[in-house]
This record gives sequence, C-alpha cells and structure tokens, in this order.
Amino acid sequence: MAEVVFDEASRIYTPGAKPAVDRLSLTVADGDLVVLVGPSGSGKSTALRMLAGLEPIDAGSVRINGRDVVDVQPKDRDIAMVFQNYALYPSKTVAENMAFPLKMRGMEKEERGRRVRQAAEMLGLTEYLDRKPKALSGGQRQRVAMGRAIVREPQVFLMDEPLSNLDAKMRVQTRAQIAEMQNRLAVSTVYVTHDQVEAMTMGDKVAVLADGKLQQYATPPELYDRPANAFVAGFIGSPAMNLLELPRSSSGVTLGGIEIPLTREVTDAAGSRDKLTVGIRPEDWVLESTDADAASVVKAVVDVVEELGSESYLYAHLAEDTATTIVVRGPGRVKVRFGDPIAVRPTAEALHVFDVESGERLD
Amino acid sequence: MIDRAEGWRRRAPLLPALVFTIIVTQIPFILTLFYSLQSWNLVRPGSQEFVWFANYVDVFTDSQFRQVAINTVVMTLGSVLIAVVLGLLLALLLNRQFVGRGVVRTLLITPFLITPVAAALLWRTVLLDPTLGLVNFVLSPFGASGTEWISQFPLASVMAALVWQWTPFMMLLLLAGLQSQPSDQLEAARVDGASAWSVFRELTLPHLRRFIELGVVLGTIYLVNTFDTVYMMTQGGPGVASANLPFYIYQRAFLGFDIGQSAAMGVVVVIITLIAASFALRLLFRSFSGEEELT
Repeated sequence: MAEVVFDEASRIYTPGAKPAVDRLSLTVADGDLVVLVGPSGSGKSTALRMLAGLEPIDAGSVRINGRDVVDVQPKDRDIAMVFQNYALYPSKTVAENMAFPLKMRGMEKEERGRRVRQAAEMLGLTEYLDRKPKALSGGQRQRVAMGRAIVREPQVFLMDEPLSNLDAKMRVQTRAQIAEMQNRLAVSTVYVTHDQVEAMTMGDKVAVLADGKLQQYATPPELYDRPANAFVAGFIGSPAMNLLELPRSSSGVTLGGIEIPLTREVTDAAGSRDKLTVGIRPEDWVLESTDADAASVVKAVVDVVEELGSESYLYAHLAEDTATTIVVRGPGRVKVRFGDPIAVRPTAEALHVFDVESGERLD
Repeated sequence: MIDRAEGWRRRAPLLPALVFTIIVTQIPFILTLFYSLQSWNLVRPGSQEFVWFANYVDVFTDSQFRQVAINTVVMTLGSVLIAVVLGLLLALLLNRQFVGRGVVRTLLITPFLITPVAAALLWRTVLLDPTLGLVNFVLSPFGASGTEWISQFPLASVMAALVWQWTPFMMLLLLAGLQSQPSDQLEAARVDGASAWSVFRELTLPHLRRFIELGVVLGTIYLVNTFDTVYMMTQGGPGVASANLPFYIYQRAFLGFDIGQSAAMGVVVVIITLIAASFALRLLFRSFSGEEELT
C-alpha cells in the first residue's frame, strides 16, 4: 500500500534536447490504478521506467510512500513490474519464474512454494507450473508475468502495456481480470498504455501525456466530459471528437451557414478572438430530416457509413465546405449510404471550446 | 514428375565435384586401411608384407601412443575450456560501455588473425625464450628469471599459445550470445531484486549455454587437429611430452618411415574422432533446435 508522487520529475536523454519527460507532477493515491496514456513518444513508458528505477530521474523527484527514490536501486523500491513482452526467464519453469523475485529476497523455499501456488490458483496457472514459458500461449505468458508481480506483494505494481501482445478478445478479457485483481489486492498501480479504451475502462484516474508533458490528470468521466485541451479532446473518445476551427459570430460561432450559440462563460473567456476551435463529439449531433429549415441544420454528404449493430457512425463532409469532415453517431440501422445528403444539428450545451493557438479549454 | 534421365541430366554438373571429393578423401582412406594391415618400413626396402591386425595390436600396447592420446585430450579440452572461460570474461567486459571499446575489441581479436605458425614462433622466441623472452623479463622482479618454459613445461607452453589464439574466437561467439539476450529480461531481474552475480548465474549463463556448447564443439574440432603449433614450438618433445596424435602420426610416418604402424594409428584416430564428433554434433544440434527461444 503506498502513495506514489511524481514531483516535477524530468528525464533528459541528451543535455539541451527536449526532455522525454518534462516536469511531470502527479499523485497516485493509495490503492488506486492510474493509467498513463498517450501516443508513442509521449514519455509514458519513460515515466514508468523512472518510477521503476530503470531510467534515471534527471530533475525533480519521485516518492513512494513519502520516501524519495531518486537514488534508490530498483530492487530496493519495493515495486513489481509487468513488461510489454512479459520478460519471462526462458530457462526457468513457470513456478521458477514466479518464485524468482522471492528467491532473490532470500525467502524460505516452503513459503515461496506456498505463495506461488496461491498466485497460480488465482490466475489459473496451476496445471502449467512445470512448463517452460515457450510451451505457453500468449495469454498464459501474460498471466505468468502478472503472477511474478503478485507473489512479491509489492507496494506498487507497474505495468508497461501488458495487453498489447494479446489478440482483441483476450485483451478485453484480461483487461477485466487485471482491473478486478487490482481492486481485490488494493495495491497502487501505474499502468501504461497507448489504448484510450484501456485507459478509460481501467483507470481510477488517467494521466494523458503528449510530448513528455502531462496534458490532464483526471477521472475517466471528467476527461471525457471536460477535456482540458484540444489534444485530450481529440485523444479520448472513439471515434475522435470533431475538432473544427470556426469563425466567431455575434453570439457564438458559425458552421456550415448556421449559427451555433455559445454559453456566456465561453463567450466571455473567448474575448476578442475571431476564431475558436470547437469540439463536438459524434454523439452530440442530432440527425434531422434533410428538408428541415436550412437556417438550423448543417448539410453534409456521407462518405462512409460504419454500422456497428447497436449504433452507426457516419463520416461526412460539409455540403458548403467540402474540406471539412465530420463524424456523426447515428442509430443502429441507418438508411443513408455513400453520397446521400444528411442534415445535422449540434447539441449546443455539449460543445467544447478551445483556443485555436494554445488548444486550451476556454470555460 | 521428373523421369530418371532428366534427373541424371540435372545432377550431372555436380558429378565432377563428387568424383573429385571421392578421389581426394575416400581413396586415400582406403589406401590407409590397406597399408594399416601391412608391415612396411620405407627405410628397409622389401620389408612390405601382410601382417593383418598386428599393427592395431601394437597401437593399443604402445605406451607412447597412450601417452600421446592423453596429451591430445589434455591439450584439446584444456585449451578449449580455458579459452572459453577467458573468452567469457572478456566478452562480459566488452558487453559494457566504456571509452575506447572499439580499440580494445580490435586488439583482443588480433591473436585469432595471426597465422598459427607465426603465433607459435612468437611464443617460442619472443615470449618464452629463457634469456630474451618477455615472460621471463616481466617475471624477473619476482625471481623467475631463467625458467626454461618450453623444456620444463612443454605441454603447458603449447597450450598457452593455443589458448592465446582461441580465446578471441570464444570471446566473439559469447559476445554475440550476450548481445542476443533480451534487455527486458535483465531489467525484470533488476526489478525482481537480483544482484549482478545472480543475474549472471540464473539468467545469463543458461542463455549462453548453447553458445558455450557451440564454442566447445567448434574449438575441439579445430584443436584436436593441432599440428603446426606443436611442430614449431616443441617438436613434440622432450620425448613425447608435448606430442599430440596428429604430430605423433606424422613423426612415425615421415621421420620413422613406419607406414604400416602410422596408418593403423590414423585409422584408430579417425574412428575415435567419428564417435566423439557424432556425440558432440548431436548435442550441438539439439541445443540449437530453438528449445529455449521465446516468441
């Protein structure tokens, strides 16, 4: 059980170059699962490796349970890590793999065996204990890697994209297992992924990183409902939020010939800017009849229809401005096809408004 | 479907190579078998006569042959094992980052690139010469001057030269092995609390096992045939103290002119080598069948 604190922690590979992790500050509360998410090169893995002690911390500090670990060896940090490629020891059996961290700590053989059997039971690995990793499937290897972390009963779990080598079905299944297990063990966990669905479904809190900088650190609903900037808005959610650069009008912005009113807070915050980046989630469009009043709907032409069964996504370009494309969520059975005209209306209260230059949220 | 004629037409271009191989390897071997059944000494004309297996009986009762066989085993396996251990230490060194690593690596490989005859000459004269040799010069402050290395420790001297030449080979092989070890396993071990020694013993050594086996088998195959180093450094002497089988057979054939006896020895050595080599190669193929490869 531990609280993990990143305090202005930075990793600079070459002096003078852009830091891989730039003054990262966040706190993982005791027992929470925090997901670090971001595109490749965002510094999420580097941040995790700094916490593990596999990368030096060049500036700032990282604390585990109040103890500054900048100069502490990985083995003395009381952490356990699950690697992307599992990093199982090929010459050892499943049982030996799982017992290795205990053996290295000089634990009695009997206690080691007891803990390994217990973890194996929990992970459904009992019948594979005598096998070498080579004789296991991807999902089983992943579970062995988890088991090796669990037997340690560490202060913190670190997981570096532990699901990325599994197939889609296995990933969903294992995702739930990890979340369930983490809840049961209540061990603080830092989980790195590039998959925003994993981030949203697993994290108690999610830290979105880009270019080595923390973009937003919040709970999943908060990230979705109030993204702090245009990057987070575009990164979280699938399909991504429509981010449109729109000119100001007297009381809002104009899109495809219609006027979209903005709230008072937004217009105040927008000040004298003559353009705004407006974010509209696919589900925040209302599909209207094509012969609706032209002053209240945006006309568009469908390019692609994705039918997912319970819902569908229409990818369309605006009739007036063919360079602007939008994604609209529709019902499960839509009649429209490629080339059909549609009319949509954004839900005014659900808009996200950002500064064009900085991308910062305006309200 | 290819008919017989077409099959032969396609194989025909390979035939000269096959015929040539048979001429240069199998015919001499059959002739050797033939000679090994005869008593025939070149310096006594007219001495040639069939004695059936008398030569083979002599081989197994010849105490010198036994001594030489033991020398061969000691020289071959001793040199290979010492070279593997030294090669491993150097490979571990070169697997780290340090200033001047490229230069050090080149220097360490150099002994392997020197002609064995030249290397043997270098050891006999420049290094081990009792009065002018560098070894005695370096050891003189410790009171070791004047040691007649080659006559006092003939087998060890030959082995020193062989180890010196073969350590770089083992080093390169094991360095390749070290560099093929996945770095995430090493990181996992660090997080799991393993000390450097534990990582080496529990992970690196098992990973290197097949590379070590390959080094031992290849080194043995080459070193069991050592001739030039023995010839240049000690001539197998004193007596047969530093002679190995290839040198001893050469001595009996071309200095003693005893064709029948040396042919019988040659046949015995070939049979022993075949047995040993088939075991060694089976071991090698088994460990390289990818038994421990992940993903």
